[in-house]
Amino acid sequence: MVEDEALSAWFCDAILSREASLMRFIRRNWRDSAEADDLRQEIYEKVLIGARRELPRNAGHYLFAVARNHLINRAKRAQIVSFDLVADMSAMTAGPDLHSTERHVSARDELRRAQAGLELLPPRCREVVRLRKVEGLSTRETAQRLGVGIDTVEKQLTLGIRAMTDFMLGGSGKVHRWTPIGKAMSGAGNDE
Amino acid sequence: MSDGCRIEELAAQWLVRSEQPDWSPEQDAELRQWLDQSYSHKAAFWRLEHGWRKADRLAALGNGGSISANRVPASVNWRRAAIAASVALTIALVPTYFLTTREFNDAGSGQKPEQQFSTALGARKIVALADGSKVELNTATIGRAMVNDRRREFWLDRGEAYFDIVHDAARPFVIYAGPRTVTVLGTKFTVRRDGERVTVSVIQGRVKVDLGPAQPGGPSTTIGVGDTALAEGNSTIVASRSLEQVERAMSWRRGMLTFDNATLSDAAAEFNRYNARKIEILDQHAAETRIGGTFAANNVDAFARLLREAYGVKVEVDPGAVKISAQDVTVPR
Repeated sequence: MVEDEALSAWFCDAILSREASLMRFIRRNWRDSAEADDLRQEIYEKVLIGARRELPRNAGHYLFAVARNHLINRAKRAQIVSFDLVADMSAMTAGPDLHSTERHVSARDELRRAQAGLELLPPRCREVVRLRKVEGLSTRETAQRLGVGIDTVEKQLTLGIRAMTDFMLGGSGKVHRWTPIGKAMSGAGNDE
Repeated sequence: MSDGCRIEELAAQWLVRSEQPDWSPEQDAELRQWLDQSYSHKAAFWRLEHGWRKADRLAALGNGGSISANRVPASVNWRRAAIAASVALTIALVPTYFLTTREFNDAGSGQKPEQQFSTALGARKIVALADGSKVELNTATIGRAMVNDRRREFWLDRGEAYFDIVHDAARPFVIYAGPRTVTVLGTKFTVRRDGERVTVSVIQGRVKVDLGPAQPGGPSTTIGVGDTALAEGNSTIVASRSLEQVERAMSWRRGMLTFDNATLSDAAAEFNRYNARKIEILDQHAAETRIGGTFAANNVDAFARLLREAYGVKVEVDPGAVKISAQDVTVPR
C-alpha cells in the first residue's frame, strides 16, 4: 500500500498537472459538456484507487487509460454508446496532450495566473478571497471587517476555493454552484 | 445537482475550516475520518488543497510598504523575496497561459498599490492621499485607499472618517462602506459605519449615496449641506439639519463628543467607541435619562462625575467599567 502522503504528492504532481489536458480529452469525447466536471471527479477517484497499491510509472499514460475506460463504461451504462465514439477513444491512447508543458510554469506566471483568476471572481467572492490570500485574515476577521455573517464568508470562500482551483489548474475559473433541486431551474448555469 | 459537485463543495468547506486559527485536533480527526470514507473525498480535497495553495502567490500583491501605517506580515515579505528569487532563477519561461493586454498593463505600469490605514481605540489620525485629498480617521477605524491616474477609491471597512476631497470631475471619489457606496466629485463630509448601518453627513458640496456594487442601478440618494443620510438594509432616510448641527456631530475631530437631548444609553454607546473602560447602564430608568453638553471623548471620569452631580445618578467606578444606575431604585414613586 502506498502511504496517503505519497499518494497525495504523486496525485498533485503527476495527475493534477495534467488537468487541462484531461478536461480537453473529456470534452472532445463526451457530448454533454455539463457533465465534464463530474466525469473528472469520477476519473480522479478511479486513478487513486488504481494507484494505491503501487504508483504507476508513466502517470500520463495511466491517467488517460483510466479516463478512456471510464468514459467507455459510462457510455455503455447509459446505453448511448456509439461505435464511433469508442473507436475514437481507442485511438486516443497516446496523444500530444500526454507530454504537456503545464508543469513548467514559473512562479511569476503562477502569480499572473492567480491574479487573472481573482479578477474573474464575482465581486463579493473576490473580496473574501483577497482578504484571505493577500491579507491572511481568518473567516472570523473577514466577517468582522466586512460587517457580514461568518456563514456568508464561508460560503463565498468555498466558492472562491473551487473557482481559483479550477482556474489554477487550467480551467475557465467558473464553477457550478450546488443548488437544491427545486431551485435548480435558474441555477443550472455558471455562477453569476 | 451532481454527487461530484456536492463532494467538491464539502471538500472546500473542510478546507476553509482547516485553515482557521481555532482548528482543533478533534476537527482534524473528523476531517481524516471523512477523507478515509472514500477516494472521491480524497481526490476532491487534495485537488482543492493543491489548487488553493497555488493561489498563495497572491500574497505578493500585498501593498508595497510605502505607508507607515501598513502592517505587512513578515511571512508576506518572506514570500515576496522567495518569488523574486524564483523569478530570478527561472531560465526558460514557458508561456502556457494566454494573458490579456490589460493584465500586462496593470502589472507593469507602476500602478500605485493600495494604501491601508487604521486607528486604535480612542485614537485619531489624518492621512493624505495621492490626489491631495485628506481623510481623518476617528477611533477604531480601518480603511484602504486606491488612488491613481484613473481611479479614486476608498474602502471604509470599519469606523468613521471625515473626508476632505479635492475636486476632480474626471475622477469621482468613490467610498465603499459595506452596503453603501458614496460618490463625490469634491466635498467635505463624514461617513460612519456601525456594521451594516451607514451614516453620511455633509458640510460642503453634494454627495451621492447608493446601494453598493452588489446592486448597480439601484435607488440612489443625493444629499447636500446640512443633510445626514442614515442607511440600513435597502432603506435610506435623509434628515435635513442645520450646518451647525452637522458640525456638532463632527466634534470628534476636536476630540469632543456633543450631545443634544440624547438618551444616556446612546451617550454611553458613543463614549464606549473611544474608551477601553466601558460605561454600563444598569437600569432602564437611568438609560432613558436625557442629557446634553460637550465632553472630552477620552475622559470617562469627568463625564461620570458630571452625571452624578448634575443628574443625580449613582456611579460606581472600577478599573474595568463605569457602572451607572438610578440613584435609589427602591424608592417607591
